This record gives sequence, structure tokens and C-alpha cells, in this order.
Amino acid sequence: MSHSGAGAQASGGAALPKVFEGQGRSELDAILEKYPNRQAALLPALWMVQRSHGWVSPEGIVETAETLDLTLAYVKGVATFYTMYRQHPVGRNFVAVCTTSPCSVCGAEAVVEALLKATGCGRVGETSPDGKWTVVETECLGACGFATPVLVNDDFIEGVTAESVPALLERYR
Amino acid sequence: MGYPHPSHPRETVLLSRYFGDAEARGYDGWIKRGGYQGLEKALGTSREQVIEEVKTSGIRGRGGAGFPAGMKWSFMPKERNGPHYLCCNADEGEPGTFKDREIMRWTPHALIEGCAIAAYAIQAEQVYIYIRGEFTEAIAIMQRAIDEARAKGVLGPNCMGRGPRIEVMIHRGAGAYICGEETALMNSIEGRRGNPRIRPPFPAQAGLWGRPTTINNVETLSAVPHIMVKGGAWYKGLSLSSPKSTGTKLFSVCGSIAKPGNYEVTMGFPLKDLLFDLAGGMKPGRRLKAVQPGGCSVPFITAQEAEGALLDYEGCVAAGTQLGSGGAIVYDDSVDIVYQVSRLARFYAHESCAQCTQCREGTAWTLRILQRILRGEGRMDDLGLLLDLGEQMTGKTICVLSDSCAVVVASAIQKFRPDFEAYVRSGRSGAAG
Amino acid sequence: MSDLVKLTIDGREAQVPKGTSVLEAARLAGVFVPHYCYHPSLPVVGACRMCLVEVEGWPKLAASCATPVAEGMVVKVSSPQARAARRGVLEFLLINHPLDCPICDQAGECDLQDYVFLEGRADSRYTEYPKRFNPAREFGPDVLYVQNRCILCTRCVRFMDHVAGEAVLSVSERGDRAYIGVDSGRALDHAWAGNVVDLCPVGSLISKDFLHKARAWELDRTESVCPGCTQGCAVSLETRGDAVVRIRPGRSAGVNRGFICDVGRLGYGPLNRTDRIETPLVPEAGRLVPADWDSALERTADLLRSAKAPWVGLVSAGASCEALEAAAKLLALGGGSGAFRVPEGPEVPLPGVPDLALRKERAPNVQGALAAGFARSWEECLARARGAGLVLVLDEDPAGIEPPGESVPLVYVGTALPESARGAAVVLPCTSVAEEEGSFVNLRGMRQSYRQAKAPPGMARPAAWILAEVLAALGAGVPA
Repeated sequence: MSHSGAGAQASGGAALPKVFEGQGRSELDAILEKYPNRQAALLPALWMVQRSHGWVSPEGIVETAETLDLTLAYVKGVATFYTMYRQHPVGRNFVAVCTTSPCSVCGAEAVVEALLKATGCGRVGETSPDGKWTVVETECLGACGFATPVLVNDDFIEGVTAESVPALLERYR
Repeated sequence: MGYPHPSHPRETVLLSRYFGDAEARGYDGWIKRGGYQGLEKALGTSREQVIEEVKTSGIRGRGGAGFPAGMKWSFMPKERNGPHYLCCNADEGEPGTFKDREIMRWTPHALIEGCAIAAYAIQAEQVYIYIRGEFTEAIAIMQRAIDEARAKGVLGPNCMGRGPRIEVMIHRGAGAYICGEETALMNSIEGRRGNPRIRPPFPAQAGLWGRPTTINNVETLSAVPHIMVKGGAWYKGLSLSSPKSTGTKLFSVCGSIAKPGNYEVTMGFPLKDLLFDLAGGMKPGRRLKAVQPGGCSVPFITAQEAEGALLDYEGCVAAGTQLGSGGAIVYDDSVDIVYQVSRLARFYAHESCAQCTQCREGTAWTLRILQRILRGEGRMDDLGLLLDLGEQMTGKTICVLSDSCAVVVASAIQKFRPDFEAYVRSGRSGAAG
Repeated sequence: MSDLVKLTIDGREAQVPKGTSVLEAARLAGVFVPHYCYHPSLPVVGACRMCLVEVEGWPKLAASCATPVAEGMVVKVSSPQARAARRGVLEFLLINHPLDCPICDQAGECDLQDYVFLEGRADSRYTEYPKRFNPAREFGPDVLYVQNRCILCTRCVRFMDHVAGEAVLSVSERGDRAYIGVDSGRALDHAWAGNVVDLCPVGSLISKDFLHKARAWELDRTESVCPGCTQGCAVSLETRGDAVVRIRPGRSAGVNRGFICDVGRLGYGPLNRTDRIETPLVPEAGRLVPADWDSALERTADLLRSAKAPWVGLVSAGASCEALEAAAKLLALGGGSGAFRVPEGPEVPLPGVPDLALRKERAPNVQGALAAGFARSWEECLARARGAGLVLVLDEDPAGIEPPGESVPLVYVGTALPESARGAAVVLPCTSVAEEEGSFVNLRGMRQSYRQAKAPPGMARPAAWILAEVLAALGAGVPA
């Protein structure tokens, strides 16, 4: 059972933790070993930021830029290119549903509707009033034969139907 | 996790043999199943001979481009004056395709073995497996397998005790279909925006960090151990139709189909049989309307065109489409084709990297026109406009994302014009619903 | 063996060095290929797709900026297919581009306007209104980013990264949501940042200084040399009537390869100052009153004839070589010499161009002054001036030389009259760098001429002329 890390930026004004200190620094050092320069560690570093802060926060971007000796503009340009790096805080559980054609043909839209209803999210992309859920549509998740695949935080769940949505969400409540 | 179906008797089971077999994931289980014999054999052969064997096999890139793999390997410099790199393209973003994920999560060592053989052949000491960020399960399984392989000395400074240094590292993507394009993939590994590069230079001359690089698809690399063990000639003999299309291919069948899943057949296998025999055909009461046999970026073909189509590179072209990645998306008569075309346009517009004017603006414009048609505000000359825009989006850009959008729209209008006209006239779909 | 490559472009033969792009080869053959993202000083990306040309025998059109020439290549820039492709690019660019021409500063010098006029469609087929709207953003002290107009050519991004060496601009987002973003922690305040405004082919990056000030077609352009520092960049003074409205890099590459720094770019204010001396002035009953040139020059010659040696000169390092040489000759007649001083500021190189920087010494003709025999010893000269027989000031502020109670005759040649020169024995108005022809010597010893861009105020004349006239009056005859 995974979490989106969104809890890290929970209650009012608590400073976001440093990502590349202590164990984080060791982890980054191990990553740096895999590449011939620091810039190449950028995508893995941004994953670390998101894991720690729940999203790619401005503080995370600053720390990443400083640590890897890149400009802020450069890091922001890369972070905003990739859809999975979240650019704002999200609910405690981040739910991404594939709705590209192969899944659309198999009823993915109904899964989205069911999720919105069950989570209390008003619309796709919004966080539920209780802060527990954000539901988004995503492009092809590469599991078209197991429609409809849903990513809940880091869990890749196959074969979700409108009917199976309530049981799925129970696991994360 | 979902489990694949048991093999159909008409499948040619090669790569998918151990799909569903949890024990195959581990090193010991893999060895028990004959694993790493290909690598063993390769290390005892010269690099040139390994490349020759792959050339003889006739295997072509299974990611969608269909470029002969052996020839691609032979483009690498013979003299090594610094690092060479191998990238394994596990970005699998082509809608309709879900075969590489299966290979990684059921037979990770098969991929590692293929990577190691390729790395040996092209004199690469570092292999990056670029796995799309969403494949969390596959990433974990691959990493465990890599750690095992290292611990067993298959990977590391002294591959199988026979000499070459081969390190395999996973680079996790972060949600960009375009990173499945080989030069965009390299940019992504380098910590850049995933923009495709202009060519020249080609990756074999200057790829990752300016060094000679080869990029191969997961399925292509996973076939290499088999080619080493049984020989290129054997692989070449696996061909039902065109001699230029050899070996087996995993076809990911999905959409309006009774038994979606991956089916491994010999090249040249009839499409009709794949859909109606192996994959169980249509759902009750439904007729086949359209199919894209090679992922969403190939032309639609009608049920009639699918009738005699053979599943190999030449056969699909003859049928008016392309083999592509082999992700067969099936649409039955309940499907609103116009909606699905707009959904695919939305996909392309979302995934465009923004470099080329025609793609950046054209995919978005195409989407807006289709959405307007769907809202009931379409005009007849919208169809001609869409075709004209598609013409401008074809053959004029750094990569073929915009060409894909154009070909999807053009083939749909060409073959299902009445559906579009119905929307324009009445503002509603003509589909059976 | 020669490494020249022969090819044909639109029927014209060209012979160019191996490695030249088809686009550059076409230019050399006199065939212009429209383009946006390509720029000779920036790395090639081949992204805008505007430069597509047909190559005989090739299945697809080629981006000519990214295609190296090959022996025997037959390139067709004007073929129907190539034109259609370029027309397509223009149509695509216009769907999101606002029709801002009536309010856009780039009008009249806009590559989008120009190419659409040359090769674009006469009509628009886009009907998916409303167009997207994004507010304009301040990137820096002078640079404004009008996001709606951006065509994402990325010249600005590549300039800041590869030429200025500070990657403070980047593309954010993907697809038609992409835009140019600036480093959030700072402004685009690099000394060379203003070049992105020149590089921007459309009116997306614009200068706040120039905002809505003038229309491009109202401006006259004169080639000159920047008076900002000792680098000696080739600039274009752009004037409307008697005002300098804008300074941009000169037409010729010059030592600065088409780039100028913001000090030069935005430093034209003094060229437009209105408190200029407009006539020669002579003291009368305690005040300075206007005089005509003949009598003023007569007065000056008299002063010099009766002044005892030594004379002292306080000159500007921004005066022309011609004026400085004449001043030195004049001072020599009185057994004297002179000095100059140079304001200083931080040196900011432009790493992507060899030997180019905003120089520490912020005056254009330090080398000219040195060559004419002037020294950097300003303070020492000021001290000597107290005991001199005459002080000649050339467009400088002589504050500090008049101790109370003593009076040394002061001949003031300058553009404006500082408080400290109000006690001058004669005031002779001279022209600024924008109002005369002359030359400067840059820090590498290169002598470069500048031309007159606007009319001088009132009766002001070039300092070189004034001093030559004085020398002539003294019988020291300097050739005109």
C-alpha cells in the first residue's frame, strides 16, 4: 500500500523537509554514481523531491538546483515537461485513470465517474474536500489488455471497473 | 496484478513461455528454465559474430520502427575510443501496446540477458533501461533481478567471469510518451526535457553525452538470447509470409475484444485469426468495425480490409496500415469512431513536446476541430480542413508524432466518412451505441 | 584538396566550405530561406520548421538550417512543395498568435509579418475562438514577455544558455501549453540580456524602454560605435527627428558579432539631453552671453596668445580621436599636456563571443586619448591646473580646479555646461557622438568610425572642428 507523500505538506506552515540531507544525500550520491554528470541525476532527484514533499514543490526545485548545480529555470523547465511530476499539492491519495482509446472503448470514463463520486472530488483534477483524494485522467498506462488500469499512488492496479471502484478505494481509506 | 491467459495452441511461444510463472522471475528459476545460456554462448563468440548472427536472424525493432537490429548494432564504431552505451527502450507508451511490461514483470532476466549480449556486441559497459515512470511494479521487479544478476556475477566488472564489464541501470521516466522516441529517450536520460533530436548526428555516431549509443526495444532485446542459442538461421526460418519479417511477435490485443491479452505468433500470421481465433473475437452481439493492428499511430483498417491482412511489416502495409508496435486495438460497431479519433487527437496534443510548429499547433487545432464536431457545431468543410492540416503535419517534423496524429485522422475520415458526416449533419454519433 | 562543396540552389550554383548548412549556402548564393529558430550565433535546433526546402531525390523536405551541404545537391527553395510547407508553418503559427500588429512594437520589423506577407495565406481558416490568452510578464528590468505572441523558437533560451552563459530562461510545459519561463529567483538582469529582444523574431520579447515609443518605419538608422565602454561595439543609432529613440546592434557584425550590452543599449539618454549649450558663450558683466562663432573663436585665440605656459588640459575619454589629437596639438603650443579620467563599472563578458565584454572602463576612447598623449593622471592634472596659464577643458567637468581667490583662464569646449565651468573665459558648444562624424579606438587598438545620426542643437559644432579653427587662428594650421 503506497501513499502519495502528500501528507508531508499537511498542517499549516510546517516547513518542508530537506530532501538531499542525511539519508537523502546518501541516496542521491548512489544515484550520481550511475551517471557521468550531475545533470543526468535530475529526473531521479525530482522523484525524490516528490516522494518527500508530495509534489515538486518550489522549495524542492530550489534544493535540487543548488544540489545539482543547475539553474532554477532549467530545473523548472524539466520538471514541467513530465506529466507525473505534480506541480501543486494533491490529496493524500493520488488516483490516475487511463482514458486513452483502448481503455475508453472498455468503459474507462465510467471508472472515472465512479471514482469522482466515491471520493467526493467535484471534478477531475480537484482534491476532495476532506483532502484524501485527487482523481486525474492520464494517457495510456501500458496495460490496455487489463482495462481499466489505475495508478493509486505507486500501486499499479489492473482491471478496474465502475463496480469494483468502492472496494478498491477501501484499501486506501 | 493481472495474470495472462494460458497459451493458445496456435501461438508460437518463445518470449511468452513463462508469462504467469512466478518462479521464472528469480535468477535460480530462470537458470532452471535454461536462462543465461545465450549470454554464455555470446561471450564465447566474437562480437562481430554475435552481430552477424543477429543480422542473419532478420529481427527488426519491435518498438514500432521495425529497423533491422543487427544492422543497427553494426553502425556502432568498431574501434572503441571511450564509452559506448546501450539503452533499452522500456517506455512502452504506444496506446494499445502492453507487451514490454509483461516481459519485464514475468521474465526480467530474459531482458537482462538480452541487454548483456547486446552490450557485449556493441562494446558498451553501461546499459540504461529506460522504464516509464508509471510501471512501478515492473521497475521494482527489474531492479530486484538486476541486483540478483549482479550478485551472481552475471553483471558487474567481470560478466560471468569471462571479462567484459557490463552494468545495467534503470532510469525511471516521469510521464512523457515522446520519450519512447529514441533520441528523446536519450535526452531524458541526460536530465533534459524529452525533446527528440535532429539527425544527423545519429545515435551510433553521437548519442548519450555525445558517445556512440544504440537504443533497442525490450521485446527486441529479449529475443536475442534465443537467437544466440538456436542461431540466427533458425529465427529467420520463423516466417509465415514475407521473408523480410522473421521471428515471433507479441501482439497486444485490446479494445472491443472478448479475450484481451498478449498473443505471440510467428510473423505473417493472419490478423483475422489473431482476433477471432486466439483472442476470442467480438463480444456477444457485436461486429468488428475497425482495427489498428500496430498501436494507435497506424491507419485504421475496416473489417473488410482486416479480412486478408497478414501480420508482418509488408503484410500490414499491403493492407493499408502498419505493423508498428503490434498493439492491436479493436473497435466494434458500438464504438463512436469520431469520439475515439478525437480522444487520440487529445492524446497527441497532450504529448507533443512543442518543438515543431506543425505538431505543437496542428495537434491542438485538430483536437479543437474534432471537439467542435462532437459538440454538434461541425461543418462539412471541416473534414477537408482536417485532411489538409494532416498533410501539413506529415513528413515535415523532427519526429513522427504529428505524422501519427495525421494518419489517424486521415484514415478515419477516409474509411468512416459517414460517421463524421452524421455528426456534422445531426450533431450526433451514427454508431449503434 | 579543397574542401569546398558544389551545389545548386534554385538554379544558382554555389561553392561553399564542407559543413556549411544548406540555409547558409543559400544565403551565400543570394537565395533567402525564411527561418525563425536558426541564428548564426546560436546552436542549431531545427525546431521551427520554417526553413524547409526541397532537395532533389530526397523523400522528405529538409530543414535547411540543420542539413549540411553535399556535393551535387540540387536544392529547391521556391518549389511549390517547399512553399506550401512554409505556408503551412505560417498558418499554424497564426492560429494562436494574436493579431496584435496595431499595438505591437515589432510591427514593421517582424519576421512573422514579413514571411506571411511573402509566403503566407491571405486568409485564416482558424475558427476555434476565443484564442488562448496569457498575461504579459516582466522578465527583467527592461525585458517584457508577451506570452501570447511567442512562437517558441527558443532563440532567447539558447542565447542566455550558450552565449550569455546563464541558463535563466527555459521552456516550461509541453505542446501548445509551452511557454518561456524565467528563473524564478531572479530577474533577467544579465548585462547582455537585452539581446533577447533583438533575437526574438516577433513581438514577444520586447523592451520596456522602447514600449510604444515609436514605429519601426519612423526610425532612421545610423551606423555608429557605442560610447558606453572601451569595447567599441558596432551599434545602430535609431533616431526619429532629433531624438535617439533606440540603440541596437549595428548592421555589420563588428567586434560584437551582432550583440550589445544593456549599458550601451539603454545608455542613449545623454544623447537626448535638452540642457545643451546651443551657442558660443562669452562672459559679459558677470554673466555668460551668447556670441557668434567668429567672435568666440577670435576671443579664444586672443586668450591663448596672451596665456603663459604651461597650459593644462582636462579631456573626456569619450571625445573623438580627431578632437583629442587637435586638443593635444593645441596644448603643446602652450608647453602643456593633459589628462582624462574614466568612470568604471563591473566587467561582464559575453562568454559565447571571443573577447567580448562590457568593459570595466566605461568610456569609448581611452586608447585614443592615450595615443594623443593624454594621461590617466586626472587628480595630478587638477592640482597642476591651479598654477597653469590656461586650462582647456574638452567635454568634462572641471570641478575642483578653482581655488578661491585665483583665476586661471578656462576655455570650455563641451556639450552641456557644468556649474564648475560657469566662470569660463569662453564656452564653445560641441556636438555629441550622435551629432558628428569621428572615430574611437577600442581597447584592442582598433580604430572605428562613427557617423552622424542627428542634427546638433543650435550652433554646436564638432569639437575637432572647433579646435582646428583655433589652431588655424593661431597660425598652427591643422589640415581640416
